[in-house]
Amino acid sequence: MSRKLTVVLLSMLVLAGAMGLKTAVTAHGNGPAVLSANGAPVPTPF
Amino acid sequence: MLGPADWVIWSLATLFEAAVVVCSLRKKVFRRYFFLNLYMLSSVCASVGRFRILMHDGRSSLEYRYFYYYSEALLVICLYFGLISLYSRVFQELQVERYVRFGAVVLLAGTAWFSYTIVNQSSARMLTHFVYELSQNLYFIGLVLTYALWGVILKLRETRALLVQLVLSLGVYFSAYAASYAVSNLRPDLFSHMVYLFPVIGCLLPLAWAYAIWRVPEEARIEPARLAVASR
Repeated sequence: MSRKLTVVLLSMLVLAGAMGLKTAVTAHGNGPAVLSANGAPVPTPF
Repeated sequence: MLGPADWVIWSLATLFEAAVVVCSLRKKVFRRYFFLNLYMLSSVCASVGRFRILMHDGRSSLEYRYFYYYSEALLVICLYFGLISLYSRVFQELQVERYVRFGAVVLLAGTAWFSYTIVNQSSARMLTHFVYELSQNLYFIGLVLTYALWGVILKLRETRALLVQLVLSLGVYFSAYAASYAVSNLRPDLFSHMVYLFPVIGCLLPLAWAYAIWRVPEEARIEPARLAVASR
């Protein structure tokens, strides 16, 4: 049980870290969308 | 309207993605790296679909926008599972694959919930906004998970050369993409100079994977630095 809770805690830490990083990177968000571009032209977001 | 450089980069990216699948099949590692190959195969299919819609309806059409963002979400989810499969391979000997799978599901559910809380205020086209937000958030989750995997590989002194090369190229891809995105946000005046940077970075990941799968045998091991010094 404690192992599963540790996994949940680690997952939440990763989620919080990733969303914090996203906020930091997109703070002045007027650039293009962050997407795994495979070369296709990116349309304007909705 | 797309210029010749856009077409060349897009074609090369699709070619490299197909090359990853072909190299995996030739080297008989397709099933071993199934999710990475699934991502590459899906990406080739998405490129073909996007090309058809682009030719038929144009870049500014709703059809192209919907197809692009929905296929992008599926691609990012495939990439996420590819990354989790790399975690499973790294933790294979510790017998904790169960927990890796559990953590992956919890993280995916947490990201979906977080994306939903962001978009649930918008009443119009909520599903589309959710898909767009989810793919963006999963991208950043992938970035953090790749760095964590780098750390685990260093800590566990992983020596499987192919696995290390696949993870390193994924890390370089995510890092270069995030850095160029941050620079284009901080200095919008530089964006016109960086317009080809994003698709070129997108080309480099399948190229690096195809090269690694083709050149590095599955049984190849990296010689740890301490052993290399001791053997001299």
